Amino acid sequence: MARVDAEPLAAADGRNLTSSYQKLDMQQRMLLKFEVEEFLFMEADLLDSRRYDEWLECLTDDIHYWMPIRRTTTAREVEREFTKPGGMAFFDDDKSVLALRVKRLAIGRAWAEDPPSRTRRLITNIKILGYDGEEVSVASNFQLYRSRLNSEEDNWIGRREDKLRRADGGFKLSQRHIYLEQTVILSQNMSSLF
Amino acid sequence: MSAASNHNWFDTESGILDRRIFTDEEIYQEELQKIFGRAWNFMCHESQVPEEGDFFMNWIGEDEVIIVRDREGTINVLLNSCPHRGNTVCRAELGTTKSFVCSYHGWNYDLNGRLIGMPSEEHFYRNPMDKNDWGLTPAAKVESYKGFVFATLDPEAPPLVDYLGWVGRLGIDFMAAQGELEFLDGVHKNRVQCNWKLAVDNVYDWYHVKVSHGSALKIGMIGEESMAPMDQMVLLGEFGHGIGGPGITEEMFQESVARLSGSEGEQIWYDRNVRQRMKPEVTEMLGPVGKRSFGHPNIFPNLWVALTRQVCLRIPRGPYETELWWFNFQPKHVPVEQRQNAIFMQNHLFGPAGILEQDDGENWSHSTRGAKGSFARTRPLNFTMGKGQDQVLHDESGQSRIETVVNEHGQRWTYQSWQEWMNAASWPELMQNHSLPPTGEI
Repeated sequence: MARVDAEPLAAADGRNLTSSYQKLDMQQRMLLKFEVEEFLFMEADLLDSRRYDEWLECLTDDIHYWMPIRRTTTAREVEREFTKPGGMAFFDDDKSVLALRVKRLAIGRAWAEDPPSRTRRLITNIKILGYDGEEVSVASNFQLYRSRLNSEEDNWIGRREDKLRRADGGFKLSQRHIYLEQTVILSQNMSSLF
Repeated sequence: MSAASNHNWFDTESGILDRRIFTDEEIYQEELQKIFGRAWNFMCHESQVPEEGDFFMNWIGEDEVIIVRDREGTINVLLNSCPHRGNTVCRAELGTTKSFVCSYHGWNYDLNGRLIGMPSEEHFYRNPMDKNDWGLTPAAKVESYKGFVFATLDPEAPPLVDYLGWVGRLGIDFMAAQGELEFLDGVHKNRVQCNWKLAVDNVYDWYHVKVSHGSALKIGMIGEESMAPMDQMVLLGEFGHGIGGPGITEEMFQESVARLSGSEGEQIWYDRNVRQRMKPEVTEMLGPVGKRSFGHPNIFPNLWVALTRQVCLRIPRGPYETELWWFNFQPKHVPVEQRQNAIFMQNHLFGPAGILEQDDGENWSHSTRGAKGSFARTRPLNFTMGKGQDQVLHDESGQSRIETVVNEHGQRWTYQSWQEWMNAASWPELMQNHSLPPTGEI
């Protein structure tokens, strides 16, 4: 079931880094960032190459995977731009729901992905927001390009706020909050994972 | 005033449909006037605009409208177009405001759409102008039924309750029967490359479930017994409204009541629905036949009332494109866990990422594409399932229905009614020439 502990969109300018991260010297920060990048690129690759079961392995059991609904508001009321955690959302998944999405693809008759889409994820502007020795908060920008059948294209661009938790000598994803730059989703479905 | 015509795109005798109605630009332009320009169109729920100045944006065909609550508490529906140059006066999709100001030259309007100010009016408009003549154009009529607000652009349209008739009202009563509803913030919106009528036609389609949604059935997201039952009930209403889908007999209803009243509890998928509908006030509201229907209502032309306390509006965006808007509701007074479970289903069944609905869009868009080829478009489409095989059964309550297996009665009724709308030159003419719901063999 959906959890309701999501945070509001954090400032993206890096000024709110937690103190434990600020205590790291430049070399330690570079190493941490390298580790984070390696993880994010690896899991994007798994999705691009349709290795969904392996992707599921990269998630903690308590992951919260969430994409709120976004609205066009006036500048004065911009705090109403995103729906709130626990309410309506495009994705509000725990691991069991993500596993259902993956399972669906494997058993046939998932017509939105059969024939399978071709996807490519570009992950960029990676910025560490905080680190407490156990969990890294990291923001990244993404472009998810999907080509389907002969000539159908979708382009999803947005920002993700992830949490990567130390596990098994590497990281596992414990939070993915996805903020898409669209209000009306200009696609007939979102059968891809972000 | 548009002219009467004698189109026969849908042959009611044979159940054969001319697929050009899904792609032809001229037919589409005519629909904007004759269907959306005349119908009572769903705008929003009253709880979406609870306070003075609260507004929500919606569409009537391709005309954008502002739905706003004014100082007196009345909900107004105003064309979002400044009478000076036609510019939009509101560009947010929701919010709260004191007035609407055109971003071009600053003409500004109050919550009733009255023109209240024009910059430098006395210096530049030296010729007198009556501001009363130049407000935002209001919809001809705005009325609501049980909290659901509708508007029509046609002053000759009948009152909303008469337009809905018992079938359209029953569709909304299915929602009202769940208790006092509140709107949940956030409308899921996405675009599908399909003609809007194909999305509407699908409301009654209980034939596609096992195939289109085979994967959702296999993973257990939806149950086969509730999503693909053999026992079906169809209710057809004046002007094209309908309800089609699962239905149970009075005997099954009573057996369910006995289970729920005794120690057995919920055993069959519809027991949960019966628990709600056995309440005397709900039975009274839905009627002896209505209480036994668990089908999908479509409020003509384009509002699907889903069984999940959601309604889905299908907004045309040209012949080849449709926007789907999901409005989500929950009863005000339910336990937290029940509410969270219900929200979980609303977020996960429908919408572009919905595990159920993901697979619909591609079928509808490819059906639309299947009407584009100059040769393909000459080939007829078959809407004959069950035609001539059923009887309309009467009930002394007036709730006539068809009780049968999976069928295409609802789709045929939709296209037949749609065609009558398209052939009528005006509301008075439609009132004269529309078909009454069928009786006897169907």
